[in-house]
Amino acid sequence: MSDGHVLFTIIFVCALGFFAANIQRLIGELQLGHTDDSRWNDLPTRFGNFLRIGIFQEKIFRDSIAGPMHAAIFWGFGILTLGTIEFLIGGVIPGFSFQPFFLAPVYAFFALNQDVWAALVIAAVGMALFRRLTKRVKRLQGAETHPNDPLLILSWIASLMITMFAYEAFEMVAHPDTMTPMLRPISFGVAMAFSWMSPSAATVAHDLAWWAHGLLVLGFLNYLPYSKHLHVVASLPNVFLSNTSGPGQKGVMKPMDLEGDLEVFGAKDVTDLSWKSLLDGFACTECGRCTSVCPAHTTGKLLSPRKIMINVRERLESYAHAADKSTVADRTLLDGYITEEELWSCTSCGACVQECPVSIDQLSVIMELRRNLVLGESRFPAEVMPAFESMEQRGSPWAFDPGDRGKWAEGMNIPTMAEMAERGERPEVLYWVGCMGSFDDRAKKTTVAFAQIMQASGVKFAILGQEEKCNGDPARRMGNEYLYQMLAKDNIETLDKYGVRTIVTACPHCFHQIGNEFPQLGGNYDVVHHSTFIESLLEQGRVPIVQELHGPVRTFTYHDSCYLGRYNDVYDAPRETLRRALPVMNLVEMPRSKDKGLCCGAGGGRMFMEETVGKRINVERAEEALATGADAIAVACPFCMTMMADSVKSRNANVEVYDIAEVVAGQLRA
Amino acid sequence: MSNIFAFAETRGGELRRAALEAVTAARQTADQVGGEVRVLIAGAPGIAVHAAKLAAHGADMVLVVEHEAFTHYNPEALAATLAAGLASNYRAAFFSASAQGKDLAPRVAAKLKVALASDVTEFAFSGDAVVAKHPGYTGKIVQTLTLKATPAIISLRPGAVLPKESPKAGTVQNIPSAGDPAASRVVVTDTVVGGGAKLDLGEAPVIISGGRGLKEAANFALVEDLAAAFGNAAVGATRAVTDEGWRPHSDQIGQTGRLVSPDLYVACGISGAIQHLAGMRTSKTIVAINKDKEAPIFKIADYGIVGDVLEILPVLTAAVKTAKQGA
Amino acid sequence: MKIAVCIKRVPDMDVRFKIGANGTSVDEAGLKFDISDFDGYAVEAALQIKEKANAGEVVVISLGADNVQETLRKAMSMGADRAVQLKHDAPVFDSFAIATALAAEISTGGYDLVMFGRMSIDTANQATGTMVAELLGLPILTAISKLDFDGGKAKARRELEGSYELIECPLPAVVTIDEGIARPRYPSLKGIMAAKKKPLETKPAQVGEQSYTLDKMELPAERAAGRIVGEGKDAVPELVRLLKEEAKVL
Repeated sequence: MSDGHVLFTIIFVCALGFFAANIQRLIGELQLGHTDDSRWNDLPTRFGNFLRIGIFQEKIFRDSIAGPMHAAIFWGFGILTLGTIEFLIGGVIPGFSFQPFFLAPVYAFFALNQDVWAALVIAAVGMALFRRLTKRVKRLQGAETHPNDPLLILSWIASLMITMFAYEAFEMVAHPDTMTPMLRPISFGVAMAFSWMSPSAATVAHDLAWWAHGLLVLGFLNYLPYSKHLHVVASLPNVFLSNTSGPGQKGVMKPMDLEGDLEVFGAKDVTDLSWKSLLDGFACTECGRCTSVCPAHTTGKLLSPRKIMINVRERLESYAHAADKSTVADRTLLDGYITEEELWSCTSCGACVQECPVSIDQLSVIMELRRNLVLGESRFPAEVMPAFESMEQRGSPWAFDPGDRGKWAEGMNIPTMAEMAERGERPEVLYWVGCMGSFDDRAKKTTVAFAQIMQASGVKFAILGQEEKCNGDPARRMGNEYLYQMLAKDNIETLDKYGVRTIVTACPHCFHQIGNEFPQLGGNYDVVHHSTFIESLLEQGRVPIVQELHGPVRTFTYHDSCYLGRYNDVYDAPRETLRRALPVMNLVEMPRSKDKGLCCGAGGGRMFMEETVGKRINVERAEEALATGADAIAVACPFCMTMMADSVKSRNANVEVYDIAEVVAGQLRA
Repeated sequence: MSNIFAFAETRGGELRRAALEAVTAARQTADQVGGEVRVLIAGAPGIAVHAAKLAAHGADMVLVVEHEAFTHYNPEALAATLAAGLASNYRAAFFSASAQGKDLAPRVAAKLKVALASDVTEFAFSGDAVVAKHPGYTGKIVQTLTLKATPAIISLRPGAVLPKESPKAGTVQNIPSAGDPAASRVVVTDTVVGGGAKLDLGEAPVIISGGRGLKEAANFALVEDLAAAFGNAAVGATRAVTDEGWRPHSDQIGQTGRLVSPDLYVACGISGAIQHLAGMRTSKTIVAINKDKEAPIFKIADYGIVGDVLEILPVLTAAVKTAKQGA
Repeated sequence: MKIAVCIKRVPDMDVRFKIGANGTSVDEAGLKFDISDFDGYAVEAALQIKEKANAGEVVVISLGADNVQETLRKAMSMGADRAVQLKHDAPVFDSFAIATALAAEISTGGYDLVMFGRMSIDTANQATGTMVAELLGLPILTAISKLDFDGGKAKARRELEGSYELIECPLPAVVTIDEGIARPRYPSLKGIMAAKKKPLETKPAQVGEQSYTLDKMELPAERAAGRIVGEGKDAVPELVRLLKEEAKVL
């Protein structure tokens, strides 16, 4: 066979060379993006993610049916790669095998696994084809996907498995004396089916199957760069390099330096994105899990996080392949592929980021494009302008008199930081009220309730009163980084003036902003959300509540706030708080809860925009909440409160919406 | 003895209430500081017919300018004529701060090379100065000013002076226009009276607005009835209601809709969410009807009725109709 | 078209004002300043005229102390090409005196169109623009809500009480702008950065003699606390009575 081996070696080397060239090209394409933050920090967490999310497929298993199916293919692929290496070397060095290098039981285990996993892979591929072609699972369809690619890939994988069984089986038929049925039982089974073949015929069949397998393997390798199956190469590095799995890190927007001469604001085209976002494009498998949990998409809006990532890759390739860039200059990522309508529909809920099995950050691309729209071209929905102007002029997105901040506290004897400073005192904690809590009548009730809880518990706290300004989150989420930094810096100056260290707030947006994003501008504070704070007070027994053990049993359902839950992993504190306040309460969960919770629809600045397409997100959520049969809904966020109260009232006036602070305050000893 | 002047505003050949306010103010001033009240009225031939009414409100003399070129408002010819006349022997000149008066009075003042006191709510003559009050800063500040020029040009905020009868001779004198009125550079080609179908939310002195408390789109008919009873009212809506599709988005009053500041705002079945209040809180008088006495709207309303809006609206509509007929 | 737009720096109106120590101004503590609302519409209208013609220049002019430079930069961040500050540190309330200073500057510019907001949102006299036109000897259309150009003429619409006028005059002309003509664009960060480099000239203002003086500013009588008049339809007669006699809106 030495001619065959020489031929194979040549083909093998060419294939590897071609593949390497493609990888180099892809790396070159990644370098079209700009530099990013260090992706080599916090190595333990990165390795942890690599193992948990990558190797152990943690996010893949969130789909209980597709999960095991894909895991079979992925783990199978890894294990079979060892066999493939043995195969390929055997194509260069005649008769090569791993057998002499390992103890017999070890090699036996290896060989057995090759067979078993190949069979599992075939079964999984069959299931995958069924899901695509027969069952037509919704998230696998989509105008933006490339439907033939997955069918080709699945068929190719199946062919690889079949040709592997074929050459193993025909080898056994050709050399029955050397076969080892225990080593490869399934191949043996196949061999038995062909035992009628003469050894010479079997040899020919083996050679054909062997070459077929070899060419299929090398062909498959080289098809990867042209397919969405490139995720095979890109996904594990992507998981390692991602910053999307860490409490408080998930929703943190990219810092932006506004000093100096900026040429580009945010991103208009792929060359304005970071290389990491471009890698995200290569890692995307078009699985559609992100789009299937997107609150905008599922209620009929155009936005599809999957489409965003597919567009990134498409545009990158179109741009990179053009020899004369001027011919493709016009069709930029923004406007040429992704429309304003899609971008403004996003509520920044983070469900897409949470769901992605390969740790893609779709949200960061959306936010960079928003920054370009607003900072570069002042293009945004008209109804947003009053919110921007009001934040700039009055420090609040609503046109309320800044002098009215702190009015809710009248008669409650709550000192301001200024008053305390004058007396030379310091509070245990600063209560950051936020704009909704200061001005919105419904939210003010929550503010008062939480203040009452703290007073009853003997917590020494103060408020900023009129010195508080909007933390800038709505501006930042809507892309107006300039306005955001103005507001944030003002607040940091005020907080630092008083030497504030610890802050408690009832608004998850303030919580996330001040705790996780202010450090980018030099503001470092320990921020606690009121649910965590109340829970700890209850745990310490500091809150004088009456725990009724008898009386009517209320059924509550708790709606998770995105900025508290997915962004900061706070799911239990609000629930625990409810349980401690109302021991006989029956707490039921909505189908989409905790990190699968459906957004109320107000985040990402959408509170300030009109919702005119499809079903209203808050109505979708209200229906889900009411379907649990709960007679009361609890929230821990003023935005969720407004959205839920509105939509629930329109569907069933008898069900009340409460903030958890109100529930606890309602149990305070008189 | 210096005289006191008043400009009699007309539109479409009819005398406007603004004219009588100006004449009354001039009369009150002349009664105090002396001099004759001379009123100028300009229009197409036949405009002199209004002289009698001007006399009844205190004009000692009515100067009539009649020419085809004054059929529509003719600012340049009017300003030239007035400036020429006021150049001597006048202590003060009163205009209305109506749309026309706000255009005309500064032209005249500039020709006489003096400032004017515009949109005045109160005034007093003392010595050779006029002290007046004039609101500014969207009505949040009252400015007191002193005008030391002669003549003192004053435009009155409509409604600040109540027309009062004080019959005088009202001798009519026809005077020519200064220069050729047909040669004005600024030409009004058309005056459309009562233009447009619906009264615009931004202009309507009264707005009747409906919210979710109306329960369904059909009940907006009750709101429209009340608006019709007022006669000069526009119909608004809250975001909750425009989102549901009961009313068009252009009717929405609030943060993401229209910001309005009418004389009277009647909120029907509106709870008063922050978003809505941002759009109407500068209304002069606010009435709220809502069945929830804790509703935030009552904190901002001047007058409130707690009750079922569907029951109350028809009764209110009938009462307003009666009141309007009697007026 | 070469367009001049006169703008005024005013405080944000959506706050509760306090009277300053000298009694003739508002207390500026905590106030944010911006282009007066109607002037903003004028700037926007001017920019749209320039963009439609794809040619021309928009120059913004403001009378006041050095703090108006910030306001002029804001207009330039919207797109105005250059700015002129007519420097005068003390506030002036006499419209004719202000008009004299503005007219002196504008007359040197060879402008095809001079635009003003119909009135400044703070002192609200609605006189300066008209007076400038008289001093320049130019025709003026005031308080217009629609503006078009046709054969060397400016054609406009003026809103009246419940009616409107169609009015026109030849160019060059002065116009004062009312609401409805254009919503001022929000300056992009790109525009803000570009504005820092645009030319801003400072000249001394030639303010005329002042016959109008501001004696004092005061807050109007407090809005009396509202009250619930009654319950149900029986409360209607009382409400109507109050609307008629107390509020005088019926």
